[in-house]
Parts: sequence; C-alpha cells; structure tokens
Amino acid sequence: MPAAKSPSKSPSFYASVVFLKIQDFARRPATEQARLRAQLQAVVAVTAAEIPPAGRVMLDAADGAAIVVLDDPRAALRLAERALTAVAVGLPLSAGLNHGALQLAAGRKSGEGMTGDGIAVAASVAAFAGASRILASRTFRDAMAEAAPGREAALAPAGTFNDPGLRAHELFTPNHRALGRRSRRYSAIAVLLAVCLIGTGIGVRSATPGQQPFMEAVLERTEPYWRELVQRVSY
Amino acid sequence: MAKPAKKIGRYKILSELGRGAMGVVYKADDPNLDRTVALKTISLEKDAEGRADYQKRFMLEAKAAGKLNHANIVTTYDFGEVDGMAYLAMELLEGTDLRKRVQQGAIPPVEAVEIGCQVAEGLAYAHGRGIVHRDIKPANIMLPERGPAKIMDFGLARMRLADHKTSTGIVLGTPRYMSPEQISGQPVDQRSDIFSLGIVLWEMLTGRRLFSGTEMAQVSHSITYDEHEPPTRVNPELPAMLDFVVARALKKDPAVRYQDADEMAADLHTCLAEMRAREDEEPGEGTRTQKLSVDGEPTIVGPPAAAILTDTRLPVSRHFDSTAALKRLGKSARGRAPRPVGLLRRIISDAPARRLFVVTVLGAAAGSFVAFI
Repeated sequence: MPAAKSPSKSPSFYASVVFLKIQDFARRPATEQARLRAQLQAVVAVTAAEIPPAGRVMLDAADGAAIVVLDDPRAALRLAERALTAVAVGLPLSAGLNHGALQLAAGRKSGEGMTGDGIAVAASVAAFAGASRILASRTFRDAMAEAAPGREAALAPAGTFNDPGLRAHELFTPNHRALGRRSRRYSAIAVLLAVCLIGTGIGVRSATPGQQPFMEAVLERTEPYWRELVQRVSY
Repeated sequence: MAKPAKKIGRYKILSELGRGAMGVVYKADDPNLDRTVALKTISLEKDAEGRADYQKRFMLEAKAAGKLNHANIVTTYDFGEVDGMAYLAMELLEGTDLRKRVQQGAIPPVEAVEIGCQVAEGLAYAHGRGIVHRDIKPANIMLPERGPAKIMDFGLARMRLADHKTSTGIVLGTPRYMSPEQISGQPVDQRSDIFSLGIVLWEMLTGRRLFSGTEMAQVSHSITYDEHEPPTRVNPELPAMLDFVVARALKKDPAVRYQDADEMAADLHTCLAEMRAREDEEPGEGTRTQKLSVDGEPTIVGPPAAAILTDTRLPVSRHFDSTAALKRLGKSARGRAPRPVGLLRRIISDAPARRLFVVTVLGAAAGSFVAFI
C-alpha cells in the first residue's frame, strides 16, 4: 500500500466546487455502480461543455464527481442545475456547492489532484442534500454576490447543519422565483418611498405659514413657458 | 512435531507434502477405498491444558467442514484422532496454490476474475450452511491442474485463531488477509471472508501486496484505516467495473460491504462476461487509446482512494482533459475569499437596487419641489 505523501507547497487559491454525489452509491451492486458512474460521466461531459476547458478542473470522487469552476460561480450553479436534470433519467444525484480554498495536491507530478476545504465542505453539503437537491454554502452565496450583485438572491435560505467535524454550515437552495419576488419587493419599496417623500413635501408646504397653494404656485411659475409654447404653436 | 509416521490411523503415509502452522500435510493412501488422499495432521500435544475443549472443537469443526460438498471446496473425506494427533483426510489435488502464482506476478485479468468467481461461489455455499472460513488467503486456495479453484482448510482457522489468542486477547497469526473487524478481535461473519477475498482479488489483479508491513501493528493499522488503490490505477487495461467490485468487497464497514458472497460472485460474473466480450472483439476494430508519458516522465499514478475519503484529496479525472486549467493554475495562484459587496457597486450592478435608488432620489427631488417651490 503506497503511503500518502505530505502536501506540496503549491499555492492555494479560491474557486467554486460543484460536488455531484450519487445517492447511496456504496450500497448499490457493482453493476449498477458502474452504470451510474458511466451515466454521471456522460452528464458531466454535457453539462460542463459550456465552461471553457481553461476554466474548470474535473475531479473523480469515490461516490461521484467534483468540478472545480475557476472563474464564475454562476457557471457553477448553472452546471449543478443542469446536472440535476439527469435525475429524470434515473441518475440519483445530489449537488453541493461551495466556494473555498483549494490546492493542487501533492503527487509524483504537480496537478495530479486537488485538495482543500473547498472540496471538503462541498462534499459535506452534497452528502447532506437529499436526492435531486442542490444546496450551497454561505461562502458560495457570497461569491455569487461578488460576481454578480443581486444574483445571490436566487439562493434562498435552507437552514443550517453540522458536518461530521462539527462545523455549522448555513445552507441555501436555488429558488429562481426568489429573484422575481425580490425585484417586485424592491419596486414596491421604491414606490412607497417615493410616495412618502412627495407626501412629506406636501406636508412641509402645508405646514409652512404664508405659502401660496401648490397648484397656483406651479401655474404662476410655469405660465410664461406655456404661453410662449402656445404662441409658437400658433405661428 | 512428531517424526513422520509410516501410518496414521488406517492411512499409509506415502510422502510429505508440506508443513504448516498446525501440523504436517502428507500424501497418504487409504487402503479401505484404495485412493490417495491428503492427510493433514494437527498436533494436540501443545494443548494439554485445554485439550478436551480443543478436541471437542476440532470434532465439531471437522464434522461441519466434512458436510461441505462443492466443486470449489476441497472435500474432507474423514477425520479422527490417533496417538495425540488429530487428522483430516482430504481430497488430494495435483496443482499449485494461489500464493505461488501470485508470487510470480499479476495473474491475467480474466483468469484472476475467474478464480475470484470460483472462490466466491465456494464461500457462498459454505456461508449458506453457516460456516465461515476466517482465513481466506492465497495459500488456502488451490489451483488444480484441471478444474476450478478450490478453497482449503474450512474450519481450521477457527481452531488456529482460538489457539493463538494470547491472554491479553491479541490475535496472532498472519493478519494480512484479515478483515478490520477480525483484526480488532470483534465477532466475524461471512462478510469477513468477503473482505479477505477482496484482498486476494486485488493482489491477483495487481501482482502486489495490498497490506504489507513488517510489524503486526503496522499491518493492523493499514487494514483498519488505509484505503486501497483502485486496481485500474495500477493496471489501466482492467475494466473499470472491477474497481467497484474490489471497492465494495474492501469496505471497512461490513454494513456497506457485499452482504453475501453470492452477490460478489454475480458481479464478478458480469465483469467476466464484459472482459470475454472485449477479448472476442476483432483486433483492429474501433480505436485504441494509449496514455503517453510526457518529457520522459513515468506515467502518473493517481493518489490512492484513501485520500478521497480521509483528507478530501481528489484525483483529476482521467475521463476529461483538465490540462488547460491546471496549467493556468500552475502559473499563478488565483482567486480570493469573497468580500462583501459595497453600496456603490450594488447600485451600479444590481438592477432592483438601482431602481430603488433612482426612484428614491426622484421621490426626494419631487418632495423638495413640492415643499419649497
């Protein structure tokens, strides 16, 4: 048995990790495991095609696959969502999304593998997610917010859980209706604020002694302009 | 050990076949049936204190083993005790044992899987009758010149293990093929034999030792904690499905291991069918890919699967090309922890927030106009 080597000093970096986990993989017969694994590879090949090759690293996991997305967390979320559609064809997947520290793993040659908390948390989150469900960590949501402010609203709170290392994780799940709801909420607040501000203006004017009525003042001030306008139209 | 006798019971000794931990194995002649047998003797002299108990256990185990009649199990013809020596008369097989084959290197994959299937079927038969071998290892698997592989020494391991347990409860013997539960002294069932068969299968496919070590503690630790390297990483020509079979047989937790040997045999049969179908394909049809080493470096062997579970080190997938991204990462470290988004950036980039800001500003302007015009 070859002994595991100590990690090399390769620089660490931050990236988004999509951990696709096949549910109950260890308990399935080997024939089914082989079939599911082949299916997963096909699904990953299709779903990862939209990410340029220089922007993703594919990793093998014992019970699934992990895709490290280097540039855009939104691409990671899209990838997870598209992969989960494979549930319909009998591939029981769950997905865990995280944005965390990673490092090229030690080996006989740099680039042989990857290690890091980014993968560990994504794997824990995927294990916690039920079948055909996507869960994302708080850091992934923050990364989404940084990449595209406002898009993080597509990840709605889904509770917290403690991993086997007793770390508490705040989890979020994709909910694209939440984006629409947020937009409507912001619009409603904007209208309400505008009404309040105009109302305050009216209130201030009413409370100020000696002020000309608002409509009269407007008409008086604007009269020269509309008279001139009428004259020009007459010519 | 007593001097080789000319006769043991009614058996006439012809020659010595070998010596083991428990006694000597002879080639002997059974005059009653006029057939040649392998006679395994077990010395009882050393066990004077618990002799009665030992004899009783021997009789029970030998009787149970004697009931096993299967093509993949060496048949026990007779057993008995004479002059302080227990003996077992067994089917004599011309051939070699698996240990000698494995010492010569990896066994061709199809043959290795065939042997695995046969042993699994023999185990399934014995397990179905409530008998657990407890000492499945290459030395206990006979490869006759003709016919299928056969498992030897059913029931004897239990006597040997009980015999070799020290007062502190430490199990002695050859632990390299023991399951994690067996090596820790916990009760074992048929799943322990499946783990041992998983080790044998791995060694047949790779020609290497899976759990090696010079000291008991080292081997024990390896069996309990180290994950194996998938066989296809050692030999990429093997079908990927074998990885799953071996991985399932070698699960540390018996609850997620194969629950019976029949299940493992069925999976191995499927592998065998796939491998034979591949062999039957016309050479030259389709394409064949070969991994080439770069800059004269040896072909990369990925990190062991141990890393996957214990420290989250995941190997780069061989099914996808990630070279471009890895090169990019090799040049410079990228990315940083996400930071909170500032108000200005949010107003510029977030449409609902921008709308809220604009409407608020317009509302404030309108309110001021109303108030102070």
